Amino acid sequence: MTQPKIAIFKLSSCAGCQLEVLNLEPYLLQLAGVLDISYFVMAKRDNAPGPYDIGFVEGAVTCGEEIAKLKRARKDCKVLVALGSCACYGGIPSMKNWEPQREVEKRVYEDLSAIESTKAFGIDQYVPVDAYLKGCPVSKEELVNFIKSTLLGMRPYLRPHSVCVECKLGENVCVFLSHREPCMGPVTTAGCGALCPARGKACDGCRGPANDPNPVSLAEAFKELGLHRPDIIRRFRKYAGATLEFEKGVEAL
Amino acid sequence: MAMPRAFAEAQRLLRLDKSRLDDFVEALKKVADVYGPVRKGVQHSFQLLEDKRPELDYHTTILPPKKLLHEPFEKLFSFEEDRVEVVQSVPKRPQVLLGIHPCDVHAIEILDQVYGGEYEDPYYQKRREQTVIIALNCTTVHDNCFCSSLGTGPELKSGYDLLMTDLGDQFLVEVGTPRGAELVAEAGLEPAPRVTLVDKERRLSEARNRLRKRLLTQDLDQLLKDNFRHPVWEELRHECLACGSCTMVCPTCFCYNTVDVLNLDLKSGWRERVWDSCLLLDYAQVAQGMNFRKDRDARIKHRVYHKLVYYEPQFGTLGCVGCGRCIDTCIKGIDITEIIRELRGE
Repeated sequence: MTQPKIAIFKLSSCAGCQLEVLNLEPYLLQLAGVLDISYFVMAKRDNAPGPYDIGFVEGAVTCGEEIAKLKRARKDCKVLVALGSCACYGGIPSMKNWEPQREVEKRVYEDLSAIESTKAFGIDQYVPVDAYLKGCPVSKEELVNFIKSTLLGMRPYLRPHSVCVECKLGENVCVFLSHREPCMGPVTTAGCGALCPARGKACDGCRGPANDPNPVSLAEAFKELGLHRPDIIRRFRKYAGATLEFEKGVEAL
Repeated sequence: MAMPRAFAEAQRLLRLDKSRLDDFVEALKKVADVYGPVRKGVQHSFQLLEDKRPELDYHTTILPPKKLLHEPFEKLFSFEEDRVEVVQSVPKRPQVLLGIHPCDVHAIEILDQVYGGEYEDPYYQKRREQTVIIALNCTTVHDNCFCSSLGTGPELKSGYDLLMTDLGDQFLVEVGTPRGAELVAEAGLEPAPRVTLVDKERRLSEARNRLRKRLLTQDLDQLLKDNFRHPVWEELRHECLACGSCTMVCPTCFCYNTVDVLNLDLKSGWRERVWDSCLLLDYAQVAQGMNFRKDRDARIKHRVYHKLVYYEPQFGTLGCVGCGRCIDTCIKGIDITEIIRELRGE
């Protein structure tokens, strides 16, 4: 078997998900034996042109240049994967979508003449996507699991349900009920091993909506906790406000 | 454990001063791995009592003791290309479940039927054989307990090796099996006068009177069958988060998913089972995305009907033991006893 060629692309993002790929250290040597990481600008100097077998795209699309780059990547890759919540939903950059574009730009740049920024969206706004690895950053375990399954031609098992399930599997104390923290766990996709609640912190919703979430009901529960409308809206719009499901949480109030 | 020589003659009514609880636990540790309720944040959890003391005045635990018989994650076998090796992570020593409440003991008896009836589950059964139950009657009750409605508490009548009852400064310890007798013999507990049974009765009847929640089981089967289209289900569809917590903490839920985990060589790996929940959308999904319970209300309904209608013909008992964990854990405060009350028009 020839080694499958892997490419890792970056759009608008903090590079945290790519860093997680590098953080796969314990597996990386073994992975290097089964994979040919042929394009990974952050990690290596010599990068080979496509075609590639699996392409991972990190980051949200926020300008025309990135749309072109993304479309090129789509053409070059047999399997195209959204790596992390920015690529899945727009992620942290998508917070700006609900403020006037000009106002947001002014906060960062002095000279606005060269800025051609658009609203931030996940990559499936522009190209078909084969798989979504959610999270801010992605889960290393899920990433490895995905690679293994893909190499075998199997459908990877990516937990589609709420974070609550993993919280219970780990017998965590419920931060919502015990500490009255506005936890996004009930509507957020698991797969992180309930990372935040296991450490006593409310889920931030970084992995986006679970497969059958009830954001309206959760928004009501937040209200009963005493959260004000802007706080609730911020919770639903932090990573995946562009999704229909989390938008329902915003509209609930 | 070897059978004791003379169980029949063994003293069945014993006492344990609370000041001597640690000694008792230490004696148990010599022959078994002892699990008991310990504090976890503001809640409790059954943990191996290594350096921790059991807190026997606990109200409930996040997960039921089921987790020690049917683990949340359990490796079933490992494989390497064509070679399969069955793994049974059975504890080498017996395990003692110390201080488990009557509802949880009843739940284990239900699981015994699930995993030991028509289809035997060797993984569960191996663990079960190695398990000693030191139950604890409930002299205090909590807001969400409704065991008396289901006949599963606050007093335990059977299903224990040893049964403790809190009598203030001491525990009454009753012996239920030869294994239990052997343990008390090793721990050197003193006999208790029969009159302590009066004290026990008084405390348990007080506890029973303090139970506020009820789930009336009379004609429950018919009630649910008649109300399959009741508006309460539609209300619950909007209310329920379908997060799955209620089923994950349930002491009688037994569903699991089976997944293969591969090593990086892609040739070897293992198969494990993981707790699953019928509240989750993916649970009833089959090939090509077809789903038998796509709507949230269908899944909530399934949970309630499974516990209160479908269990009985299969296992001869209701599937709910009234432990109240599903109510405790629900962010939206959905309460199975309230659902039934609403169906009854109360």
